[in-house]
Amino acid sequence: MQNATVIDGWPRRATPTTIPFSAIVVLSVVAAAAFASWLPLQVSIVTLFLFAGPHNWFELRYFLMRLPVRFGRSRNFFLTAFAGLGVLTLTHVALPFLYNATLWSEEAWYGVVGSWNTALLVWLASLVWLRSRQKPRANWKWTIPVALALCSLNWLGPDLFSLAIVYVHPLIALWFLDRHIRRTRPAWSCAYRRCLWLVPLVLAAMIWQLSLATPLADNNGLFWRITQHSGAEVLPQISSHMLVSVHLFLEMLHYGVWIVALPLIGRIGSARFWEVKTVPIARHPKGFPRVVAAMLVFAVVVVIGLWFGFSIDYATTRDVYFTIAIAHVLAEAPFLLRML
Amino acid sequence: MKLLLIASCLVLLTAFSTNADVPKPKTPDKPKLILHTGLEIVPDAKLYEAKLQISQSDFNNLRAALDGGAGSSSPVVGSIAFSAPRTIVAGLLMFMAVSVAGVLIARSSSVGRAQKTVGAVLLVAVLLGAAAIITRGNAGPPGSWRWRNLPQALAEGKSTVGGVDVEIVPDDQMNGRTMRLIIPLKKQNSPGEE
Repeated sequence: MQNATVIDGWPRRATPTTIPFSAIVVLSVVAAAAFASWLPLQVSIVTLFLFAGPHNWFELRYFLMRLPVRFGRSRNFFLTAFAGLGVLTLTHVALPFLYNATLWSEEAWYGVVGSWNTALLVWLASLVWLRSRQKPRANWKWTIPVALALCSLNWLGPDLFSLAIVYVHPLIALWFLDRHIRRTRPAWSCAYRRCLWLVPLVLAAMIWQLSLATPLADNNGLFWRITQHSGAEVLPQISSHMLVSVHLFLEMLHYGVWIVALPLIGRIGSARFWEVKTVPIARHPKGFPRVVAAMLVFAVVVVIGLWFGFSIDYATTRDVYFTIAIAHVLAEAPFLLRML
Repeated sequence: MKLLLIASCLVLLTAFSTNADVPKPKTPDKPKLILHTGLEIVPDAKLYEAKLQISQSDFNNLRAALDGGAGSSSPVVGSIAFSAPRTIVAGLLMFMAVSVAGVLIARSSSVGRAQKTVGAVLLVAVLLGAAAIITRGNAGPPGSWRWRNLPQALAEGKSTVGGVDVEIVPDDQMNGRTMRLIIPLKKQNSPGEE
């Protein structure tokens, strides 16, 4: 059986010092928290407008760089990953249409959302199991009871579980960055992990400061949508100011990692992220340069379309974006597992 | 002897059936909790009449709670606690999770007996803790904590936000009034006062 041809596109470099890196990380975290706490609604609008599309483009490019030319022994893993990605994305996008077309009770909708979340967890558990078969030394059996326990919690409160995904997803970017730093700049790994301790401390400070803050004025459609995306309806007893600020803080970290940290840390000085040939599966003799180029160009068109949509009707575009963006949330799982 | 036992049984049975026929004592209607939500008290020097503003979503929840008749509280607690089918599914899955975890701990050869015991105890503790958190979804600081600075905030013209339970009270218990806002304020001793 053919082995998977994994291409490492990032050369390892020696690092002169970790102090500037740590300073930039700390400054970024503190600045993001300050802006998110100070003007949550306004900064949320600007941040999403500027960075939502580009961060998806960089994520696509990153995933293409991590994709092997031939799946080999990983064939089942990638087939399961892409099949689950397609089915879960389509069903998730179909949910709003189903909601508008049917007159189901609230309890029935809890059942639908709970079923989707369960399917997501089953898919993740399957990927973990397939990945663990390729790593005989790794003991990942504990993930089975964890997945079952998460399924159980999901059925107790499907809407809360969905909200938890919204808040946990941005943190996955920090995990990606950790794995990436360990591969490309191991000297920074320790400093980065120390800096990560700042995130829970900043979150605790934000929650402490904003838990009694006056709820945000959601008197227009756009502000109302922003508070709803952060879970103001699911958690009405918590200040919407705190919810929006915490969500925005995590989103800003997420965008920062995908747009700034990961591209820069990979190839400082020689980074030409717009060149198709920098993607290993396009550069490889048995690769697919045209497919990769078409995907990246199409993604650029989507980003421009997103900016255009935000300019014309920000609220509707925001709704559409957050519905479709589930695809990139799901896509992160298999590629993160491949890095573990 | 047998006759004595039969007679005793007959007397006891008669006593039960007699008690069962006694009508249940009539208890006065109690206020019914139908919604837990947030409340902001805002002093406004420009107004001449007090206003009670209710958000559309809370109003919808209030109406739904009244229509449903059940004593649902907040959407969060309600969605967790008041669905039998989902609770059954969740319980079965949790049972499977605990069972699989137990088997894995027991079968693990690299783990010693003491560590297995510690693991099992931790597992049970986590489960009990999670169950306690779920069943006591409102655990945390008491609601009165958020209202503790209300007098000072009112004096300074600032707003105060806290939780509020919406109760439906029978008319005869309202002493002719239609609405009443009860704030859980604790009497605070001034410095030096015992």
